[in-house]
Amino acid sequence: MSASDTIYATGLATTPDASAQGPTVDLARIAGHALPFLLPVGVLLIWEAAVAAGWISDALMPRPSAVAVAAWETLVSGELFTHLGVSALRALSGLLIGGSIGFLLGLANGISDLSNRATDTTLQMIRNIPNLALLPLVIVWFGIGEGAKLFLVSIGVFFPIYLNTLHGIRNVDRQLIEMGKAYGMSPATLFRRILLPGALPSVFVGLRYALGIMWLTLIVAETLSASSGLGYMAMKAREFMILEVVVLSILLYAVLGKVADIATRALERRTLAWSPVYAKS
Amino acid sequence: MPSLKAERAIVHERTDIEPAAAARAAGHVTLEPGLRHPDGAAVRIRGLNKSFGGPRVLDQVDLDIAPGEFLAIVGKSGCGKSTLLRILTGLDTPQSGEVSVDGRTPGNNAADIRLMFQEPRLLPWASVAGNVAVGLRQDAHPGNEADRAVAEALKAVQLPEKAGVWPATLSGGQKQRVALARALVSRPRLLALDEPLGALDALTRLVMQALILRVKQETGFTAVLVTHDVAEAVALADRVIVLEAGRIAAEFRVDAPHPRPTASEEAARIEARILEAIFHGRTAA
Ligand SMILES: Nc1ncnc2c1ncn2[C@@H]1O[C@H](COP(=O)(O)OP(=O)(O)OP(=O)(O)O)[C@@H](O)[C@H]1O
Ligand SMILES: [Mg+2]
Repeated sequence: MSASDTIYATGLATTPDASAQGPTVDLARIAGHALPFLLPVGVLLIWEAAVAAGWISDALMPRPSAVAVAAWETLVSGELFTHLGVSALRALSGLLIGGSIGFLLGLANGISDLSNRATDTTLQMIRNIPNLALLPLVIVWFGIGEGAKLFLVSIGVFFPIYLNTLHGIRNVDRQLIEMGKAYGMSPATLFRRILLPGALPSVFVGLRYALGIMWLTLIVAETLSASSGLGYMAMKAREFMILEVVVLSILLYAVLGKVADIATRALERRTLAWSPVYAKS
Repeated sequence: MPSLKAERAIVHERTDIEPAAAARAAGHVTLEPGLRHPDGAAVRIRGLNKSFGGPRVLDQVDLDIAPGEFLAIVGKSGCGKSTLLRILTGLDTPQSGEVSVDGRTPGNNAADIRLMFQEPRLLPWASVAGNVAVGLRQDAHPGNEADRAVAEALKAVQLPEKAGVWPATLSGGQKQRVALARALVSRPRLLALDEPLGALDALTRLVMQALILRVKQETGFTAVLVTHDVAEAVALADRVIVLEAGRIAAEFRVDAPHPRPTASEEAARIEARILEAIFHGRTAA
C-alpha cells in the first residue's frame, strides 16, 4: 500500500489501543469467533437435559449423546463413510453435469442471438416443471440405479446456473464492451477479458442457489428410491425405529450442505478478489 | 429538418485553415498530408455526413488536422461532437464523405488511434497494470518489453506505485490517469479525448490538464479534445472549433506558447468570442 494509506491507517483509533490492552482484545476476538456457535451448542445442551429429565420421550427424539454414539458406531463399521461418500459423489457429479450444461448454454444464449431465439423459450417452459415432479417417470426409466439420481440433480441445478449465467452475460457493462472494441480486442479476447469475468458474480449467485436445490433433490430421491446414500440410511433406520441414525443422517446433510457452501464462498472470494465486496479490511 | 441550406453558408465563412501554420505553432515539422509524420497523425475529413435515421447529426463536415496539432472541439450538447470523435476513431462509420487518418480509414489502424472516454472504463477484475496492458498493440507479445511499456506509461501519468492494485481502490482522478496511461501505452499517433475530465473536480481537472499537455508535448501525437469547458479548450489547444448542429460554425486559433499563463487577458478575450460563437451561432474568427 502507498504512503497515504499508511497515514490513514495510523489515524484509526484501534491501533494504539491494541498494543496497550493486548489480552482484552484477544479475548474479544475469541469471543467474536465463538459467537456463532453459542446458539447451536446451547440448543444441544438443553435438548440433552430435556430428554434426560424425561420431558421429551426417548422414543420420539433421541438425545444428542445417543446420536453421537450412533455416529461412532456407523463410523467404526464403515457404513457412515460408504453412504456419505455415495451421496457426496452423486451430488458432485449431478452438479458437474447439469451445471456445465447450464453454464455453456447460458454463455451461448447470452452471446448469440440466434442460439437464444432457438432455445430460450423452450427452456423457460421446461423451467416451470418442478424437477421432483419427474420422479415417478424417472423411476420407471432408470429404476433405482444411479441414473435416476444423476438425472434429477442435473435437471435441478441446470436452471439456476443457466438463468444466472445468461443474466450475467446480458448485464455486462456496455461501456466496457465498447472500450474493448475500441482497443482492438478480437471477439475471443473480448469474451475472455470482459464478458466472462463480468458475468462471473452472477454465475456464483446461480451456483449457490443450485447447491440448495442439489441437496434437496438428492435427499428426496435417496429417500424414495435408493439402495445406498444418506437418505437410504435414514429410511432403513426408520424401518427398525433406530431414530439416532435418522437424526444422524439429517445432521450429515446439514454438514454436507455447509461444506459445499464454504467451498463455494472460498472459490468466490478467490475469483472475485477484485470486487470491493471482498476487499481485505 | 429546418434551415439546412441557410446555415450551410457558415461553413464556407470560416477562416481557411492552414495545417502547416498549426504544425509550426505546435513546434513540429510539416509534411504533406497523408505522409507519416514521425509522431503525430494527419487527419483529413471531406464532406462527412452522418445521421441515425433522423436529421443529420454531422452535416458536410470538412476538417484537416495537422500532425502534432492539438485541436479542441466545443459546442452545445447534442451537436455531434462525440459522433465526430467516434467516426474519427473507427467506432462508428460515416454515412458518406471521406475520413482518413494517415491516409487510411480509421478502424484499420486501431493501435495508432486511441480514444479516451469521459468515464475511465477500467476492467474492475484486472489490476491497474493489467488495465494499462489492454492498450498494448494486439501483436505485442507479453514479456519484458510489454511490461516496460506498461511501467513507463504508468510513470508518465505519475502512478507507478499503483501498478498492482485493483481499480476499485483508486480515486476518480487516479482512475482517469490509468485510462490515460492505457491510451498512451501503444504510443498512438492520434489521441481523441471525449470530455475526459468532465467528471472530475476543478482542482484535479487542472492537474490533469497539465499532465495531458506534458505527455502531448513529450510524445507529439495529434490530439483532438472534446470539452464543455471553453477555458480548458483555450488553455490546451492550438485551435478551437465550434460545432453547431453538425457543422463547423467557427474556428479560432490560439497562438500563445505553452506553458500558458492562467487567466490571461488574451485568453479571456478568445474565450468570450468562442462563447459568443457557441450561443449566437456565428463569429468571424
Ligand atoms: N447511436 C445513436 N443512435 C441514435 N442517435 C444518436 C446516436 N448517437 C448519437 N445520436 C444523436 O446524435 C446527436 C449528437 O450526439 P453526440 O453524442 O455526438 O452529441 P455531443 O455533441 O457529444 O453531445 P454532448 O455534449 O451532450 O456529449 C444527438 O442528437 C444524439 O441523440
Ligand atoms: Mg458527447
